[in-house]
Amino acid sequence: MTPGVLLVTSVSLGFMVLAAGAYALLYGIGRFRNSRGLLVSAGFAYGALVLDAAGLILAAPLALEWKLLIAGSALAYLGIPPLTWRYLQHTHREEGAHP
Amino acid sequence: MPKGFIGKVRLGARLMQYDDPKFWRAGAISTTVVMAIALGMLTVDSLEAITPGGSHVPPYSVINRHIGYVYNGRLGRDMPVIGADEPLFGKPVTETEAAAFMERGKLVIQSRSCINCHTFMGNGAYYAPDLTKAWLDPAWDTWMAITGADTKEEAMVRFLMAPEQYATWLRKMPNLGISRDEAVATVAYLKWLSSIDTNGFPIHFGRPQTSR
Amino acid sequence: MSRSKNLAVKYLVAAILFFGVMTLSGLMSAAYYIQPDFLFGLIPFSIAKMLHIDTMIIWLLMGFMGAVYWFLPDEFEIEPAGIWAAEILFWVFVSAVLVVAATFVLVQWGAGTETTLWLVQQGRKYVEAPRWAAIGVALVMLVFAWNVVGTALRARRITGIMAVMSVNMVPLVLLYLIAFPKIDNMAVDLYWWWWLVHLWVEATWEILIGCIMALAVMKLLGTSRKIVEGWLYVEVSMVLGTGILGLGHHYFWIGTPDYWLGIGGFFSALEPLPLLGMVVHAVYDAGVHRMKTTNRPAFYWTLAEAFGNFLGGGVFGFMITLPQLNLFAHGTQWTVSHGHFAFWGAYACGVLSVCYIALQEQRRLAVVNGRGWVWAFVLLNGGLIGMVGSLLVAGMAQTFFERAIGGSTLEAFIAGQENPWFVLGMYSRMFFGLIFTAGYLTLAWNLLALGHREAAAVAQPAPAE
Repeated sequence: MTPGVLLVTSVSLGFMVLAAGAYALLYGIGRFRNSRGLLVSAGFAYGALVLDAAGLILAAPLALEWKLLIAGSALAYLGIPPLTWRYLQHTHREEGAHP
Repeated sequence: MPKGFIGKVRLGARLMQYDDPKFWRAGAISTTVVMAIALGMLTVDSLEAITPGGSHVPPYSVINRHIGYVYNGRLGRDMPVIGADEPLFGKPVTETEAAAFMERGKLVIQSRSCINCHTFMGNGAYYAPDLTKAWLDPAWDTWMAITGADTKEEAMVRFLMAPEQYATWLRKMPNLGISRDEAVATVAYLKWLSSIDTNGFPIHFGRPQTSR
Repeated sequence: MSRSKNLAVKYLVAAILFFGVMTLSGLMSAAYYIQPDFLFGLIPFSIAKMLHIDTMIIWLLMGFMGAVYWFLPDEFEIEPAGIWAAEILFWVFVSAVLVVAATFVLVQWGAGTETTLWLVQQGRKYVEAPRWAAIGVALVMLVFAWNVVGTALRARRITGIMAVMSVNMVPLVLLYLIAFPKIDNMAVDLYWWWWLVHLWVEATWEILIGCIMALAVMKLLGTSRKIVEGWLYVEVSMVLGTGILGLGHHYFWIGTPDYWLGIGGFFSALEPLPLLGMVVHAVYDAGVHRMKTTNRPAFYWTLAEAFGNFLGGGVFGFMITLPQLNLFAHGTQWTVSHGHFAFWGAYACGVLSVCYIALQEQRRLAVVNGRGWVWAFVLLNGGLIGMVGSLLVAGMAQTFFERAIGGSTLEAFIAGQENPWFVLGMYSRMFFGLIFTAGYLTLAWNLLALGHREAAAVAQPAPAE
């Protein structure tokens, strides 16, 4: 691993999680305001995550098992916001809590 | 399906719901127990490997030998290499004497809080250099010259006893009142430390890379 | 006001004061990187740094204790058990910390003997306090555990949150015993030391702050207990599910077998997942309840907690956690940038949120507002982000020049430290550190003054217009 590739790989990994955070944030606000614009932006954020993960899987000097882990994580990040949202909505509805 | 269920899992005769906290409580307990057991088992194995004489950590009497650090092509990383006899100060020590050095050396390292400027295996503070392979550092040649010592270990001892006299950089190490006996024990400790198999850390030690 | 709540306020005040000591000693440590002769000969770098990291642990621990003592009477609806002992130990705790700090500054080190470990310092990171003080801390924590568990026994009932907190007390207290032994073998020393540090800050402390935030959210937003408890269990499962074996990310290079590279790297890579869930939860709460909080600073600090935890622990951690990369970045300023961001986000923000919650009730404020808290919030978070960004630049330069290119020797270390990007990072860190300090002073002033002006206005109502 050359020094330059090392830095690029690290930054890419951090960016992947950052993009997941952006996706989660935009998804949440978008669901709240029922805003198509925000939900589309959330999609773009996740798209950035996918591109980043693809770059890592195709080009990073990592063994296969680590690339599988990255792919698996990317999928998990996709599911966490909507599943968490559904769980929160459902439990709040159940409680008859604040609208 | 009754109102309020977003999912059901049948566990024996009872139905657990995803929106029932007890489901997640069971999950929390079982996850913790499984992980803790796994950690316990790995700990037993690891402690065996890191006991002196274990697979990764040589016995303390390794300070009587030459210690190198060489790239191992098969493993794909650097490995410590224990070589021919090379006792500290020309005086071989028994296992018991070596252990006494380690005990004293560790007391010096703790009593002076070395870990709050330096790192050991990368753990500590980052103001001063990592000491994992300090025994193998080429810079001691310089200190042999400026301390007038004719062995590396003598140079290290003189440096530890009066670091402020042998500063080579703007960042200085303070005088910590280290006696000669303490310094000798510390040097022995650092020699042993450099013989530990750290899975290749620090990377490329002593081998600068030219390509970026 | 309940005795427990009075004690809570004392702990929170002490926490904020030690936060100040942490900030001051942080500035001193940072100064050394810019001016190596700074206080050399008087207070060397190691002492400034020791004060800095130890007061960080202390102020956060005191913050947690303040939070728990605050919520305890509300949770159990009775005066908590053994508060008389806790009251005495508060003063013991504070005095011990002050004596230890004075010892660090005035005595600094001792001869290489056990006596030094008992009386001066033990020289293991975060747990340098001499053994006599460590005994005091252990006692404080035991009584703290008793206050929680004993109250449950006295009340003959326990809530889910308190059950989690009570069970969590066991490893929390037991792990502290690792602060006591002197272990000759550095590999074994570090092996157990990481149980204390990691299983505190990436396991038991996460659970503790999770419980505290659950209580805070119930109070701030009126969220139902059942929702909050369910969420807490989800969090516990995911944090411990990833964090217990995530401990392995500290076992890459300390002499332990190389299966830890795989195990530690894998579980550590999963650690951001629960943190993402917390972000979603925070956004949900912000949306659902935003209009219905009377304590904006407390709520904003709770949001900062969720986002800070995710960014500092999740994003910054993930950059350096894979072993192939950690091999280069381990033990550099990159680590420092991650550490500062993670501790701030995961713990400091949560404690500050509780300070405002307690303050609202203690000063009987219908609404907590004003501009002071906003300034403190912006300066502290802005300063912190600036610092960690600077440290990231410095850390990447160090990794690149010292490790990847330089060959990790002393010469390489010096080359890395003198690299222009590294030096820039150090100056930049100092600049943002000063901004952070301004934020701290604003915070302290705000906490001191908040509500008094309103109280005065109530006493002398403004003339009708």
